[in-house]
Amino acid sequence: MSRALTGFLGAVLEAWQELRVHRTRVLLSLIGVAVAVCSLTTVVALGAIVQQANQELSERSSGRPATLYVSAYATDGSTIDAEALDRAWDETVARYGIDYASRVVSSGQSIPFVTGVVQVGTQAVDQPYGEMHRVRISEGHWFSTADEQALAPALVVNSVFWERLGRPDLATHPTVTLGGEKGATAVVVGVTPAATYETEPSMFMLASQLATVQAAQPAADPSADPYSGFGGGQTQYEMWIPPELAEPLLAAVQRDIQAALGDGAQVDVYRQDYAQYGDDPFLVTKLVVGGIAVLVLLLGALGLVNIALVTVKQRVREIGIRRSFGATAGRVFFAVMMESVVATVAAGVVGVMAAVLLVQSPIVHDVVGQGMVTDFPPFPVEAALLGLAAATGVGALAGLLPALVAVRVKVIDAIRY
Amino acid sequence: MSLLRLEDVTRTVLPPDQPALTILNGVDLTVEGGDRISIVGRSGSGKSTLLNLMGLLDLPTSGLLAFDDRPVKSYSGAGRDRLRGAQIGFIFQQFNLLAGRTALENVAMPLLYASGRQFWRRRQLAADMLEQVGLGHRVDSLPDRLSGGEQQRVAIARSLVRGPRLILADEPTGALDLDTGQSVMELIDEVATRTGAALVVITHDPSIAARSRTHYRLDRGILTPAEALAETPAESLVDAAANKIADAAAGAHGERSDR
Ligand SMILES: Nc1ncnc2c1ncn2[C@@H]1O[C@H](COP(=O)(O)OP(=O)(O)OP(=O)(O)O)[C@@H](O)[C@H]1O
Ligand SMILES: [Mg+2]
Repeated sequence: MSRALTGFLGAVLEAWQELRVHRTRVLLSLIGVAVAVCSLTTVVALGAIVQQANQELSERSSGRPATLYVSAYATDGSTIDAEALDRAWDETVARYGIDYASRVVSSGQSIPFVTGVVQVGTQAVDQPYGEMHRVRISEGHWFSTADEQALAPALVVNSVFWERLGRPDLATHPTVTLGGEKGATAVVVGVTPAATYETEPSMFMLASQLATVQAAQPAADPSADPYSGFGGGQTQYEMWIPPELAEPLLAAVQRDIQAALGDGAQVDVYRQDYAQYGDDPFLVTKLVVGGIAVLVLLLGALGLVNIALVTVKQRVREIGIRRSFGATAGRVFFAVMMESVVATVAAGVVGVMAAVLLVQSPIVHDVVGQGMVTDFPPFPVEAALLGLAAATGVGALAGLLPALVAVRVKVIDAIRY
Repeated sequence: MSLLRLEDVTRTVLPPDQPALTILNGVDLTVEGGDRISIVGRSGSGKSTLLNLMGLLDLPTSGLLAFDDRPVKSYSGAGRDRLRGAQIGFIFQQFNLLAGRTALENVAMPLLYASGRQFWRRRQLAADMLEQVGLGHRVDSLPDRLSGGEQQRVAIARSLVRGPRLILADEPTGALDLDTGQSVMELIDEVATRTGAALVVITHDPSIAARSRTHYRLDRGILTPAEALAETPAESLVDAAANKIADAAAGAHGERSDR
């Protein structure tokens, strides 16, 4: 045991001294390895971060796994009985005890800003929607039960909307008028951050309050509303359920609502979240990115092998001297191998640190996040570990050939002058 | 019990596309602890080959080679390496210090292959050893900053740092001038005496050989005990001088006749 320890330490020490003596040459060869490890770690880390960002974005648009969507239309082309559908939905949600269910009604609401009246894209949803789509709030709060019971409709607006209002303090309960001059007065209770590509105001309101607002409004000219074309304003239904229940529930919900609506309607229930295909949807991206990185690393290793081989041939005599002072063949093999490993691990540490700095830089965050990912995941530990492991592996691989050459050195020939 | 024993040892090499070449033929030699042995012989007579065998760097083609009465053949390769590291110290004609390493690192090198106390305290042991060869003030010098005599003293410190029982010196003064050579030999003698190690010196130089108690002559692979080359060192010096003159004359003559 003690001999194994001193043997290991001795070999590392030997390798370190060797590296110190040939530092210029070693440094040059290591730049390549450091760059390769940096790029490998960066792509893996970015991959993980982009994946998380993508997941967040796709969850925001199509729900978290598993989200079921329900839509229904009349088979004869007439409009479906919205109230019957609503009732069937409520019953189904209650029957299966689903906590996260929401209606989604898209419409346009005329909002009189100081710069003029604007049709604002509006999604009327139920309260659980915020959780189901990970809606982020930068000011105020998402709809609460109190908002639901309040007389004045509550609004959660995007930051573009909020800017146009002049960034009022939400504690002062800023109001806007819905549906033109004589419409209802609504209170802005929350602000969501807008993605960098969003330039138009948009907002959420509660589906229950939309109904009252619309009932109070005089029937507006439908053609003035770009969101209420054919089938516009129709209600979508969605529920967020445990993924393992997705299949049985999909069938059950379809059957129950179909039964409630009768033969005249066609009911569709489907999944749209990213996890619906079972496989990892980012697998291909990962493979491509990983493949390129490995290629880069192997090229770096090739350069290292070359230099290590040249170095070993110049050191035949030195190896002979060490052997004559008691170095076993195994020890020589290990020490030469360790030279590569110690060197590449050092380069790997530098590469990983560079990758961390790069990935955590604000520029990279902007590009990846599009302003939509507010709290960035920390630098993925597995990427750093992978970078170090790859550096070690490449060092061992690059050290193998020179180590084999070193072991084959004939001691007698090496010390003959 | 003998430290090292060779019985009827033969070493034959098979150069490619040439008939077998017998370098050593029926060599018998016993080294006891604390012995002082010199081996002289012409260039190409097989001295280094014999020393490689004694240093366990090579195995005999036939015959017995035993260390502490155990046949060296019975050791594994690594076992032989460890035995060599612990028991045998080499001193070479060309010093063979590791370039780019300080004197201290060179002397500490064999201790990297030791274990236990020797491994952990290697820097202290190496510094002590350098002190003993009179280089306590040059521990951080690189070999190319040291004179030939100083380099050989570092090499002596290195060969002794693990406390070997056998010191093998292959022409230790061959690359040094006469005076430096004598003082280096004195140093080797002194440390060998102090540690009780056996010393085998290979040399061309009769005055160096004369320092030993037991003398051998190697001639075309055959080792024969030699009477003391001379009864007194003074005579041996005269002998050596005479030999050198004769050699030079022969060389000059040879050169002339080659033209
Ligand atoms: N591996 C080998 N293959 C072929 N010939 C060899 C081999 N090893 C040694 N020889 C030959 O054997 C002879 C003795 O070699 P060795 O090195 O032992 O001589 P030496 O007595 O040490 O000579 P020197 O005083 O010049 O160092 C030489 O002629 C050498 O060329
Ligand atoms: Mg020789």
